[in-house]
Amino acid sequence: MLLDFNKLGAWKWALSAICAVMSLFLLLPILFIVALSFGNSRWLIFPPPGWTLKWYEELFADPRWMGAALTSAKIGVIVMVISVALGLLASLALVRGTFKGREVLRAFFLTPMVLPVVIVAVALYAAFLRLGLNGTLLGFVIAHVIVALPFAIITITGALETFDPAIEDAAILCGASPWEARLRVTLPGIRHGLFSAAIFSFLISWDEVVLAIFMASPSLQTLPVKVWTTLRQDLTPVIAAASTLLVALTVLLMIAAAVLRKGKSE
Amino acid sequence: MTPFLHINGIRKTYGTVVATDHVELSIAEGEFMTFLGPSGSGKSTTLYILAGFQDPTAGDIKLRGQSILQTPSHKRNIGMVFQRYTLFPHLSVGENVAFPLRVRRMGQDEIAQKVKRALSLVRLDGFEDRMPAKMSGGQQQRVALARALVYDPPVLLMDEPLSALDKKLREEIQFEIRRIHQETGVTILYVTHDQEEALRLSDRIAIFNKGKIEQVGTGPELYANPATHFVADFIGDSAFLAGELAGVGQGRAGLRFADGSTVAAVPLHGLGVAGQAAELMLRPERIELTPEAGPEGASLPVTVEDLTFLGNNTTVSARTGWGAALTVRLNFGHPLAGRIARGDRLHIRWAPEAAHAFVKG
Ligand SMILES: Nc1ncnc2c1ncn2[C@@H]1O[C@H](COP(=O)(O)OP(=O)(O)OP(=O)(O)O)[C@@H](O)[C@H]1O
Ligand SMILES: [Mg+2]
Repeated sequence: MLLDFNKLGAWKWALSAICAVMSLFLLLPILFIVALSFGNSRWLIFPPPGWTLKWYEELFADPRWMGAALTSAKIGVIVMVISVALGLLASLALVRGTFKGREVLRAFFLTPMVLPVVIVAVALYAAFLRLGLNGTLLGFVIAHVIVALPFAIITITGALETFDPAIEDAAILCGASPWEARLRVTLPGIRHGLFSAAIFSFLISWDEVVLAIFMASPSLQTLPVKVWTTLRQDLTPVIAAASTLLVALTVLLMIAAAVLRKGKSE
Repeated sequence: MTPFLHINGIRKTYGTVVATDHVELSIAEGEFMTFLGPSGSGKSTTLYILAGFQDPTAGDIKLRGQSILQTPSHKRNIGMVFQRYTLFPHLSVGENVAFPLRVRRMGQDEIAQKVKRALSLVRLDGFEDRMPAKMSGGQQQRVALARALVYDPPVLLMDEPLSALDKKLREEIQFEIRRIHQETGVTILYVTHDQEEALRLSDRIAIFNKGKIEQVGTGPELYANPATHFVADFIGDSAFLAGELAGVGQGRAGLRFADGSTVAAVPLHGLGVAGQAAELMLRPERIELTPEAGPEGASLPVTVEDLTFLGNNTTVSARTGWGAALTVRLNFGHPLAGRIARGDRLHIRWAPEAAHAFVKG
C-alpha cells in the first residue's frame, strides 16, 4: 500500500494523537452526561460531589418516562420491519430489474437523505394535518420510515449487488420457482445486509427527534421528545439518566452491527 | 426417427445484435456434444435458451419430440453447471446437493441416500458437512456437478465450468467428467473455447462462429475434413497459402500461385469458378519435406528459413517461391533432421487427402 501506517515514522504519532483527540471530542459530551446521571447533585454540578442511582429509580418509577420509552421502542420496531420489507422489495427491483429509469428511481429513493429533515417535517406536518395523522402512531411510523428507508435500501442493495445472480439461476434450474429461489437462496445469502438494515432502521427511529417533535402530542411522544420537553421545563438529572439509557441501547446495537459485519467478512 | 434433443432453427437477437442465427442441431440420447467457438459466437446464448433463461426470437427446442419452450426453467428438469461458482453459500455441501430433492418434496431417507450417491459419483464422499467457502474451486465445481445430477436430469448443460481453474486441475476434472458421463449415460451439452478440452471430452463438436454453426462432427472428422477456413483454422495448426482457382471439377480443384507454380486435384470446399481467389490449407504434421520434387500437383518448392529443435520434433520454418510462410515438423530421428540448414532449397509434398482448398469470400 502506498500509505503504509507502519512506515510513516514520526507521522504515526501525530496521526494517533489526532485520532485520540477527535475521539475524545466526540465522546466527551456523552461521558459528561453519563457522569451526571450517576451524580448525586440535583443541580447538575460537575464533577459530581457523590454518586447515586436515585435518578434511575425516579426514571423507572415515572409512568410518563416509561410510556415514552415504550412508544419509542414500539415505533422503532414497526419502522424496522416496514423499512426492511420495503427496502428489500425496492432493492430487488433496483438491482435485479432491467426496466428503464432504474438509476432515476434509485436517486429518487435516496432523496430523503439529502433533504433537510426540518423540511421533510414541515411538509409531513402540513400533509398529516389534512389526514388527521398528527399525534398518531401511524403518523410517527410513516415519518420515520421515510428517513429510515434510504439507509435500508443502501445497505440491502449493497448486499444484493455482491450476491451473484447466477446462484439464483442455479436454484431455479434445480427446480425452485423464482420466488422460492429468492426466499430460500437469495434471502439467506444477503442476511447480513438485512440484519444491518434492520439495526440501522431501528436506530434511526430510536434517535430521531426533529420529525418526532412535529408528530408528537401530549399523550404520545417518544423518548427523545420527552427528553426535549422535560428539558424546557426543569433541568433534572433524570434527563441525564434517560439520555444515558438512550445512548446505551444505541451503542449496543452499533456493536451488534459491527460484529455482524466482521462475521460476514470472515 | 425423432431425435432425442432437437435445436430447431434457433435465432436470438438483442436489438440489432444477432447472438445466434438459425442454429440447427440434433443430439442423440447419451451423447457428449460440445459447443466450441470464439468469444461472443453465441454458445452461451444457445445454452441459456435451452435452460429457459432466454426466449428465442425464432425457432424451437424439442426434447423427445416435445417442445420445451413453454415450460418455465424450474419445471424443465434440466441440470446445469455454470462458469462461476454457484453453490448456495449458506448451505453445507450436503444441503446444496439435497436442495433439488427438497424442492421436489422427496422423503428424508431417499434424499440422504441420493445425496450420498451423488457425492460419491464426484469423489467427494464424506464432505456433506463442509461449507462451500471452505472448499477449493475444483471441489466446488464438483459439488455443483453432483447437485446438477442428483435429480437425474435427461440433459446436463455445462457453460465453461472449468475456465476459472488452473491447467493441471482442469485436466484432472476433465477426466472426471468423462468418467461421470460414461457412468451415468447422461446427455451433456458442454461449452468451451478450448479446442483441446473439446477434443478430449466430446463425442461430437459443433463449431460456432458469429452466431452460426459452421460444422458439426467428431474431432477426427473436423480435423481431417474441415468444411470451412474457419474450422480448419480453429481445430489444429494449419498453413493457408493464398492463390486462385485453376480448373474446377467433381469437388476438386487446381490452384495457381503468384509465382506461377500450381497444385492439382485438391478437395474443394465452397462453390467457385476458375480465376476466383482461394486458399490451400496444409497441416504441418502431414507435410513431408524432401530433397526432390514430389508427384506433379502435390508438391511445391520451398526455402528453409529457420530451424527450431523442440525435443520430440524439429520445427522447420520455410518460405514458398512467392514468399508465403509455412512450417513443417520433422519427428525426432527423421533422416533429414540433422542434415538441413538455413537457405537450403527443398520441396514439400503431401498425400492427396491432406490438403484442402477453400474458396475465399
Ligand atoms: N443480454 C444481452 N444483451 C445484449 N447482447 C447480448 C446479451 N447476451 C449476449 N449478447 C451478445 O450476443 C452475442 C453472443 O453472446 P454469447 O454470450 O452467447 O457468446 P459466447 O459464445 O458464450 O461467448 P463467450 O465465450 O465469451 O462466453 C455476443 O455478441 C454478445 O455480446
Ligand atoms: Mg459464454
